[in-house]
Order: sequence, then C-alpha cells, then structure tokens
Amino acid sequence: MNGFLAVDAQGVTKTYGSVRAVDDISVRVAAGEVYGVLGPNGAGKTTFLRMLLGLIRPDTGTIRMFGKTWEDSGVGVLDGVAGFIESPRFYPYLTGRANLEGLALLDGGTPTGLLEEVLDVVEMSDRADQKVGGYSYGMRQRLGVAASLLREPRLLILDEPANGLDPAGIRDMRALVKRLSGRGLTVLLSSHDMEEVEEICDNVTIMTRGTVAFHGTIAHLRTMAPDPGHVLATTDDVRALRLAEDQVGITVARDPGAALVVTGPPPEVSSYVGSLVRADIGLLAFTPTRTPLEALFFMLTDDATHQFLDRSAQPQDALR
Amino acid sequence: MTTIQTTSASTIRHDHVARRRPGLLAALRWELRKLRAQYRARVVLLIAVLAPVFIVVVIQGQSRPPKDTLFGRFAIDNGFALSLLVLGFASQWVLPLLTAIVAGDVFASEDQHGTWKTVLTRSTSRSRLFWAKTVTACGFATLVLVLLAVSTVASSWVIVGHQPLIGLSGQSIPAGHALQLVAASWALMLPPILAFTCLAILLSVWSRNPAVGIAAPVVIGMVMQLVGALGGVEAIRPFLVTTSFETWHGLLAEPRFSGPLVEGLLVSAGWCVVSLAAAFILFRRRDITGG
Repeated sequence: MNGFLAVDAQGVTKTYGSVRAVDDISVRVAAGEVYGVLGPNGAGKTTFLRMLLGLIRPDTGTIRMFGKTWEDSGVGVLDGVAGFIESPRFYPYLTGRANLEGLALLDGGTPTGLLEEVLDVVEMSDRADQKVGGYSYGMRQRLGVAASLLREPRLLILDEPANGLDPAGIRDMRALVKRLSGRGLTVLLSSHDMEEVEEICDNVTIMTRGTVAFHGTIAHLRTMAPDPGHVLATTDDVRALRLAEDQVGITVARDPGAALVVTGPPPEVSSYVGSLVRADIGLLAFTPTRTPLEALFFMLTDDATHQFLDRSAQPQDALR
Repeated sequence: MTTIQTTSASTIRHDHVARRRPGLLAALRWELRKLRAQYRARVVLLIAVLAPVFIVVVIQGQSRPPKDTLFGRFAIDNGFALSLLVLGFASQWVLPLLTAIVAGDVFASEDQHGTWKTVLTRSTSRSRLFWAKTVTACGFATLVLVLLAVSTVASSWVIVGHQPLIGLSGQSIPAGHALQLVAASWALMLPPILAFTCLAILLSVWSRNPAVGIAAPVVIGMVMQLVGALGGVEAIRPFLVTTSFETWHGLLAEPRFSGPLVEGLLVSAGWCVVSLAAAFILFRRRDITGG
C-alpha cells in the first residue's frame, strides 16, 4: 500500500443531461497532506467527492485511492477511507450510539473500546444515548466525524465540514482537522471559504463550473494574489480622487456603493494615505476589503475573468 | 453552542488495518435492529395478532352470517369456516398492505432520511445491502402472515368452535383434517404475499418515496382484482398475482385440484424474480445525489 497516492483522480467527468457537473478534472492528493477543494456553490466539489466515495459513478476517467479502483476492488476501495458528504445523516429513531454500532456492523466490526473513544474525541459521550432526531445540526456534524473515525481512516473526506456551524464550532472543527492531520491522517476537504482552506490546507484545487481553475500549493496561490484593497471614506472624496492621480502604483476607484476603493502594494497605499492627511482631507474610514487570497478566489471563479484561469492553471503542482 | 472537542488525549489509531469485509449477516443484523426500533413495524405486528380476534368476535356475534362470501354461510357456527372467511377477506388488500408497510419503505426510507450516503460509504457492498433489506422485508411479510394465520385460526377455534367443516363440494371434513387444510390454505398465501413484497421493494427502489412504496402495491393489487373479475381477460388472469390468492380453493374441493396451485406458485415466483431483478439493477446503477 505504501507509496500510493491517497487520491489519484484522472480525467474525471460527470454529466447530468446537458450539464457537465464535473468536466475532465484531475486531482492528486499525496498521503499525509491536507488538501482543499475550493469553489463556489455549484462548482462541482460535492459531485467530485461523491464520486470518490462511490456514491456517484463517473462517466469517464479513473479514480484511485491508495492504488485501488472501484472497478478492481469494489467497496474495498474504501478501506482506510472515511468521510461525509454535506451534512452527515443518521437514523433519527435510533440513538447516536445505536447509529454508530450499526455503522460498525457494516464495517465488519470495530476494535473494543473504539466506539467510546471516538465519542470521546468529538465530545458526544454524554449525548450518545439520546435519539439522533433530537440532535442539533452541530451535534450531527460531530457524530458524523465520530462515524468517520470509527473506520480508522487514513484518508478523511469532508465536504464543507464547517457548514452550518457557529463560529465556535467552526473554530473547533478546523482545530480538529489540524489535529487529525498532525497524526498523519490525509484530509481532503471541500469548502467555499478561502480563509478556511488557507488556514488548514497545504494544497488546493479551485473549481469553477465543473472545471479546475487552479491546482497547486497555498504558497503558490499567494504569489498570484492581487494587491490588497481598502475601502476609503474621506471628508472630500473628489479631492482624494484627484490626489490619487499623482500617486504611482495604486488605483483608486469608486465602487458601486459610492465609497472609494484603494488597491495597491501596502507602501504605496500608506504613502497615499499620508498625502491625504497632508492635504487636510479627513479620513472617516479605512477598512480592508477582501484578503488577497479571497480576491484571487473571486477572480478565479468569476466568469468575466475566466481567461485568467488558462494562464494560472498549474495541474501538476499538487504532486511535488 | 456547537463545539468540536480538540484537546482529548485520544489514542485513535490511524495506521491502516485491512478491514474485514462484513458478510450478509452483518447487514441483516443492522436491518433487523432498525426494524425493531421502528414504531410502525411493531404496530403492524400487533395488528396482525389482535385484529383477527376482534373480527372473529364481531362476526360470531352477528345474528345472520355473511352468506354471499365463500364459507360465510357457516362462519358463525364453524371456526374453520370463519378462519377461511377471514383468509379470503385478508387476501383482498389487507395482506398486501401489511407487508408493503415494511417492504415499500425499506429502501425509500433511506432516501427519506438521506442515509444512503451514510451506509454506502461503509465496507458493505450495495449488493449485500440490497439482499439484507430484501431478506428483512420478506421475513417480515412471512412473520405477519404467520401471526395473522395463527391468531385467526386460534381465536376462531376457541371462540366459535371446531366442528367438522363443510367443504366447497359439500363434503364433510373432520375437524383434525380441516385444521390441516385451513393451515395449508393460509400457507398458500405466502407465495403471492412474497410477490407483493418484491413488488413493493421494486416500487420503493424506483420511487424513492415511502408513500408510493407502501400505497402503490395495494392499489396495484386492487386493480389486478378488478381486471381478474372482468370478462374476456382469461388469457391474462393466470398471470395476475391476485389469482394466486385463490389457489387454496383446490384444497377444499372434492376431488382436490392442484393445477391452479402450481400455476400460482410459478406466477408468484415469476413476479418475485422480475421485481427483484429490476430493483437490483436500479439500485446498483443509481447515483446517490441526495441527502
């Protein structure tokens, strides 16, 4: 088993009627890394993850996980693989523990004590004997993680794991993913949140409209990020705009909300702000717009800048 | 507040161990466990036990017997006749409904709860899950039939009595032999009931909707009975599952005839095979996009 990629998906396509949900994408995830699949809603992330887990059959392409394919190994391809798609679902008329016991049966049994252990990891031990029908969204999410850990996976596939969680839940879910990856677990997660992927992942595939818009390391992505932008509110926007004409290296424009948006490298922006102060123009607000990576994400997934994608796509970067 | 604990001193192992492939029995145990936990399955079993007692008491209390039905003439005086009267009534739509409550729901409820993605990402193949669910539904149908039969025959025996039975040809059948024939008549319900169970499974897989899976077999059964009652459809009548519900008549005639019985067995088996084959193919090929 050693030496195989955790995930090696090549030329995978899935079409529904006239819609190409996933269009010839290739993703390679090395063992031990935390890999993000990022994209807006409808980009094809969930369809791709469903194909990995065998819930959806691809029209074309091959999917290998730890060297096994569905064609060769059937459900055996999921040995060492676990995860959940969208929100995890359970039988509402059974308790959390009964759900896990049943899933353990479908896994061929689990080592003694593991069930209690995974309940402990997700802090569900005290609620495990209540029916799932009464669980909150966050509790079901935690039970989903417990159900995945019950398989003692080497690869954990999580589809938007923080979706629907409150800020504390999001923080803790991210910390849990980091902690699991710290133990050598490969994690493949999808998200539409650039910040989440930037915080957790080593490598990322950005998808849009079923295709790969970017494929590479977070570090590489950062080098492509545009200059940061700031929303500027002054006591005299007309003069502020005129002053900007004399500044080199920045652009100042009115956004649709009538505020000024300054974009440029931090030293030049700082110099411009200084010139405003010297010109007795009062600063009412100076707030960052998106982070550079967020801005890049929107560029990459924006139809209007689609040609940018062709220049940026780096399909081989993920496999270093 | 939702929190995910991150500081546990857990020792969960992530070194991969080749997973033992669970057999059909493991999936079956899981299905039975779910079935036991379901309120409606328990209610159906309770109905199968109690409803016959109630019906027997009500009919026995009538001053005039329901003469226009098979064995109705003797129903208030003879426990065996009353058992057969209940059998004829149950086969109209009661048995298809009672069995469809589980069979029509067994696949579609996974769609309803969105749990396909939960169970199909474990180590049990789709084929094993399919057969585990099918065996569960067929087992439940058999249990319902047995409970209904035992409850009907026992309550008729106790409440109405066990005098010799007058057969369909007017012959007198001694009580001991009559009991065997009544039991055999109830047993002959099993093939068409299993056919209805398999049909409900197919509808459950195809529709992904428990309501359709449960109601449609009953409606189809009623349509079949209507078609069977029409003139000019002699060619298709033997192929209707509902015709198999009448094969027990041959046991109570003199001389006995077994042609319809064999035909009924073959037709029921055919419905089972075709329904299950279609359901299996649909289930194996479907993409799980919901949940």
